[in-house]
Amino acid sequence: MNKLIYILIATTFIVASACNKKLDVTPQQNITPEQIKTADDVKGVLFGGYKLLQNGSAFGEQYLLIADLLASEKQVKFVGTFTEYRDIEDKNQNQTSFIPRDMWSNAYAIINSMNTVLDKLDLIDESERDDIKSEAEFIRGIVYFELVNFFAKPYSAGDTENNLGVPLVLDPQKYVYDPSTAFVARASVQDVYNQVISDLSDAATNLPPQQEDFRATQFSAKAFLSRVYLNMGMYQDAATMANNVIQSGEFSLVSTYNQAFNNVGNSSEDIFAIQQTAQSNAGTGNSGLTTFYSAYPVGRGDVQIVNSYLNIFTADDFRKNFWYQGGSIGGFTGKYTGKWKDFYKTVPVVRLAEMYLTRGEANLRKGGAPVGGLTPLSDINTVRQRSSTSALATVTAQNFVDERFRELGFEGDRVWTLKRLQMNVDGYEYTYDKLILPIPQREIDVNKNLVQNPGY
Amino acid sequence: MKIFLFLIGISVMSLSALAQNLTITGMVTDAKDNTRLVGVTVKEKNQHKAVVTDKEGSFTISLSSAGGVLIFSYIGYDDVELPATENMKVQLTPNTKNLNEVVVVGYGQATKKQLTGSISKVSGKEVANVPAPSFESALQGKAAGVVIESGSGKLGQAIKIRIRGTSSISASSQPLYVVDGLPIVSTSQSDIFNDPTNPLADINPNDIESIEVLKDASAAAIYGARAANGVILITTKKGRNNEKTTIELNLTNSWSNPTRTFDFLNATQYVDLIELAAASDGKYDFKNDISGYATEEDAINDYKAFYEGNILDYYSLGTDWRKGEVNTNWKDLLYNHNAVANQIDLSASGGNEKTRFFASGFYNVQNAIVIDNKFYRYGGRLNLEHNATDKLSLGINIAVDRSQLNRVTNDNAFSTPGQLVAQIPISPVYDPQTGELNNQTLYGNGLFDAQFNSDKQATNRTVGNVFANYEFTPSLSFRSEFGADILSLYQEAFQGKQTIDGGGIGKANLIVSQSTSYNTNNYFTYTPAIGKNSKLNSVIGMSYLQNDTKQSASYGEQTPSDLIKNLSGTTSITTSYSTSDKYTFLSYFLRANYSLLDKYLLAASIRTDGSSRFGSNNRYGWFPSVSAGWLLSEERFMQQSKFFSYLKLRASWGLTGNAEIGESNFLALYGVANYPELPGFYPVQLGNPNLKWEKTSQADAGIEFGILNNRISGEIDVYKKHTSDLLLQVNVPATTGFLNYYQNLGTMDNKGVEVTLSSKNIDTKFKWNTSLNFAYNKNEVLDINGQIIEGGFSVVQRAVEGEPIGVFYGEKFLGVDPETGDALFLGEDGKPTTDFDNAKRVVLGKSNPDWTGGFTNTFSYKNFDLNIFFTFVSGNKINNAGGYFMSDGFYNGFDNQTTDIINAWREPGDKSNVPRIGYFYGSGYQPTSSRWLYNGSYIRLKNVTLGYTAPKTVNDFLHISSARLYVSGTNLWTKTDYPGDPEINTETAGNIGGGQDFYTIPQARTITIGLNIKF
Repeated sequence: MNKLIYILIATTFIVASACNKKLDVTPQQNITPEQIKTADDVKGVLFGGYKLLQNGSAFGEQYLLIADLLASEKQVKFVGTFTEYRDIEDKNQNQTSFIPRDMWSNAYAIINSMNTVLDKLDLIDESERDDIKSEAEFIRGIVYFELVNFFAKPYSAGDTENNLGVPLVLDPQKYVYDPSTAFVARASVQDVYNQVISDLSDAATNLPPQQEDFRATQFSAKAFLSRVYLNMGMYQDAATMANNVIQSGEFSLVSTYNQAFNNVGNSSEDIFAIQQTAQSNAGTGNSGLTTFYSAYPVGRGDVQIVNSYLNIFTADDFRKNFWYQGGSIGGFTGKYTGKWKDFYKTVPVVRLAEMYLTRGEANLRKGGAPVGGLTPLSDINTVRQRSSTSALATVTAQNFVDERFRELGFEGDRVWTLKRLQMNVDGYEYTYDKLILPIPQREIDVNKNLVQNPGY
Repeated sequence: MKIFLFLIGISVMSLSALAQNLTITGMVTDAKDNTRLVGVTVKEKNQHKAVVTDKEGSFTISLSSAGGVLIFSYIGYDDVELPATENMKVQLTPNTKNLNEVVVVGYGQATKKQLTGSISKVSGKEVANVPAPSFESALQGKAAGVVIESGSGKLGQAIKIRIRGTSSISASSQPLYVVDGLPIVSTSQSDIFNDPTNPLADINPNDIESIEVLKDASAAAIYGARAANGVILITTKKGRNNEKTTIELNLTNSWSNPTRTFDFLNATQYVDLIELAAASDGKYDFKNDISGYATEEDAINDYKAFYEGNILDYYSLGTDWRKGEVNTNWKDLLYNHNAVANQIDLSASGGNEKTRFFASGFYNVQNAIVIDNKFYRYGGRLNLEHNATDKLSLGINIAVDRSQLNRVTNDNAFSTPGQLVAQIPISPVYDPQTGELNNQTLYGNGLFDAQFNSDKQATNRTVGNVFANYEFTPSLSFRSEFGADILSLYQEAFQGKQTIDGGGIGKANLIVSQSTSYNTNNYFTYTPAIGKNSKLNSVIGMSYLQNDTKQSASYGEQTPSDLIKNLSGTTSITTSYSTSDKYTFLSYFLRANYSLLDKYLLAASIRTDGSSRFGSNNRYGWFPSVSAGWLLSEERFMQQSKFFSYLKLRASWGLTGNAEIGESNFLALYGVANYPELPGFYPVQLGNPNLKWEKTSQADAGIEFGILNNRISGEIDVYKKHTSDLLLQVNVPATTGFLNYYQNLGTMDNKGVEVTLSSKNIDTKFKWNTSLNFAYNKNEVLDINGQIIEGGFSVVQRAVEGEPIGVFYGEKFLGVDPETGDALFLGEDGKPTTDFDNAKRVVLGKSNPDWTGGFTNTFSYKNFDLNIFFTFVSGNKINNAGGYFMSDGFYNGFDNQTTDIINAWREPGDKSNVPRIGYFYGSGYQPTSSRWLYNGSYIRLKNVTLGYTAPKTVNDFLHISSARLYVSGTNLWTKTDYPGDPEINTETAGNIGGGQDFYTIPQARTITIGLNIKF
């Protein structure tokens, strides 16, 4: 019997020591940073950036919708049950709203991913290295541009060296939280713009003119640079960048306006766009442009067109009729834009039409010989004629402002146009506190170096 | 590990040589009425051999030596130890207070008297045949300090259970469940987009012999790293040796209806209120010169036109709302009336000299009070144990069952039946033009979803273990158990084209989940003879647990029609994923109980656990406990006392752990990003290689007493739980690219008192017993590094230092300004303000109660028995999170309103508690204020049961051994300030949210008729 006891004890220990190894369990649906060892892995992190750009907190919804709710008065009304959206429409948002919180955190997640790519370029073959580097810079640059637009005073407000921008983070987080580098203060608006220009200029120089799978090209970077320079009032540069895109021959206006939207893949006028499919999209229940903009039962139908918006078009304008009647999930009937009607479709981020309007306006404002050789009148009429509306005989700077509103409504352009031109937004001074999103309260709580925007 | 060998050594030495056999015979009878007792275990002290008394109450046993001592034990009777004599006549006394009642503890058993820890025992009888979807809901009010929130009247939903308060913030605070020694899966395996479901519903309550709740550290620390939230041990029924086979049949049938619901407006009242809103908005506009109307009348008429045109005309579908042509009671449409449930349960138990068994089968169908929610289950159990030799016994406990839950969507979905109350009473159910269901309702008409959608979740569950017990010597035995808990779930949901959730295109999904747990426990029990006055009982062993959970889910859309109601009918897959998770625990444990003179009790235990949930830096944790007890009533000076018949003091301290944070949280991780054509990775989680167990140290002091010959008995415990190294999701600046990461940070306290009292008020032919338990718990978050962690629903709830977890935090509603009808809030300056932006956010109350308890009275007279059981909670608040739609005076939409809104402010000078209403200029509509926050205290008549046991003549006539017919009522009466059902919580998961009602289905009021027959 003694033997039996010893056998039992021995067995127990054998079992136990075998079990000890069983405590090492590796995750099955995730990878750890140590596993990123090849060029494909690094490219995977780069491509992950596109996914985060598609998120509802970025171009998938909020970069466009929130911008338009900030300048909603003559454009859209929010009839849904999410009070946070209604608050932004009413300029009544507060610092605990999930909208600025998610926009902020998603943006920095993208920035961290891109910083990680830039940190691991040595794993990329030399022949590809510059392309990958500049693609990551492009994504980082456009995200900083959106951040500084939403969370800081506009560039047009001046004093850019002193006005607070957003924290500039250019190094990747090292997986194990490092408090010594975590509490970054806000850089100045100027510093953020400088970084944006540096990133985008690199991308404009190094990215190839064409890419597979609708990845960013040098023209995507140039198109964004034209926006940046327009915001800064650097009209020569804005016109040059827009002209560069127009004259590349890579893009052409689609024949009718509606063809620019609800596409699978890029249309011929998309310079940069976010792809969506049934499997990969910005959301179908509580987030995504279509969720909010499309009438129930496809979407929630929470965002309707304000009737007065349709009055800014002449009767013959194709764009005037690009809407449909519908209702919201909350029972409100109204008019809905045709731009975000269907799920799983491409979200145009920069279209060629905008480049014509930018080149024309920039040429007009700077004066002198027009960049690209075509007159501002010609540029505005190019856009108008596509929508079968009458050509203008003369053109003013205000014509461009109005035309942008007609052409780019519901695409998140209005508020930036008004702000850069120091024009009132919904009756508020363009620098009004609530036209700038609050630094999310959770960030203020956790990072004492952050200063809240005035008015919150 | 030398201690192992040492223990073995001692036991081997203590083996004594066998002497010649001596045969003793005798008979055992009941001391009270002299009936012969069948199946009494007769065992020679310190020997293996045991026999049981036969049908005549007689026994024959061979002794190992002359002068041996025999121990007689029988369930429900006090043990008797007598020197063996020829022709023994032994009388056993039924135990008055079950001090010798066997209580199951981790890896063993003990008698109540010997315990030094705090354990609540609930007998299986108390949970059997109760009309509840799972056994834990029947525990409510039965055990002091165990707080159970069923959440809603929906079936199969997860239940929130807290033993001595919430002891974690980011990790789970649910207890560990152990069935016959096997830790089982108790967390939802279901669709993550719906409410969590409850895997414990797979256990047949009628199979349960007893439930032991291990509350203090001394009781629970033997489960170490998983015990910080308490442990619930479930022991299933077993057969007994030489027991005549008893066949038991239980039949129940019950009918349920909702308990308390909100009162909503009828069509006339709704129209009146709409007109009031129009008048209110018109007057406000005119008074404040907003739109520049010429007269007040113009303004009112204009608003009237808006309301009537957009609401009344539009939604009445051409019916005459002025005459009240349509008066739909939408609330009525969401409930089943007299929802039927029934259960058939058949079991058999018995045994011969060597083998004992319990076998059962059951079939149960329950219809919820809410439409489209139904729960079926059926299954069987076999518990079998066989004595292969004198020394070796082996057996198996296994239960196999299948359940199917037909579900509705979560409370926050437009499609859920609970939200039908938002529809307006002038809306017809059927379109008068077409005769079809009305699809022009205020919100999408959930009746389409009710009619065309389905969501069926089928679970196959096998929980079982095999075990062998080997007795080397009477003082040393070894037990090995191997168990498995295999849960496979298959959930198919379909949303038709016409429905809200079908999105006009038709959708379906399929979720398949498989969770497999293996567990082995191997331990020695050693009870050496160490002297005349001392007893030592020790346990040493190891345990290994592994769980593999694999899940796959696919969501599709675009169906040709509604004919194929599953994923195969969809033509486009939108999401499809699989997950694979695994966790392991490896543990060693040692426990020793020492008693001196049967009155001084000491116990100590230590357990070490290693888990895959932590990195190699801190993989193992140590969890010790010590406890002591003093049986004062055994002291000579107390034996004179006529007052105290039983008195014990006990105290304990120990450390337990919590690791319930899910897998891989110590690792930095990337996930897969699925951008079209560009598959990639994105960072999802920061790592923390130093992550370790959350620790709870708990001190407990208790007194147990029986007075007046145990007519009154009771137990009082005070405890203090201190949780440190909280497994906390600590916020980091999002500029790092991450939001938070798990860190061991912070402390939290729970302090409380528990009292259990029972008394035999009258003990004659008419019997009246009373038992009362109540508990107080105070939780306080002490230190979370200054963070504020938020949860909750419309009113924010948070974990913040210096407050109990889950306090409601928002603007305090103070009533209505009689001059303007504006809502008043507590302002920053401490004075009432009508300016909401200037209102101060303050702590408004908490969702966890201070006091909880139960109060039971049982009466019996002749063949009748009556049981009346109340439960109560107090000190908590409930937020009607749906209030800002259903009671906001139309500001947030035109939802039908609760009847209290009729009393809204109308004219300057009106004293009302309901602010000015109106879609345009209503006041007090902000969801974050305390306007819809109520005192959540309640007392509820939880159950009344009246039973009749058939007399012997009837039994003989029917050839049965007993029969009992009973009728019971559940939730028959409730007293509360809350306008709906106070026993709701739409957020059963998590620690911060709670006490939130969002169109939540109330508890059921149920009448049950049942029959119990034993053959």
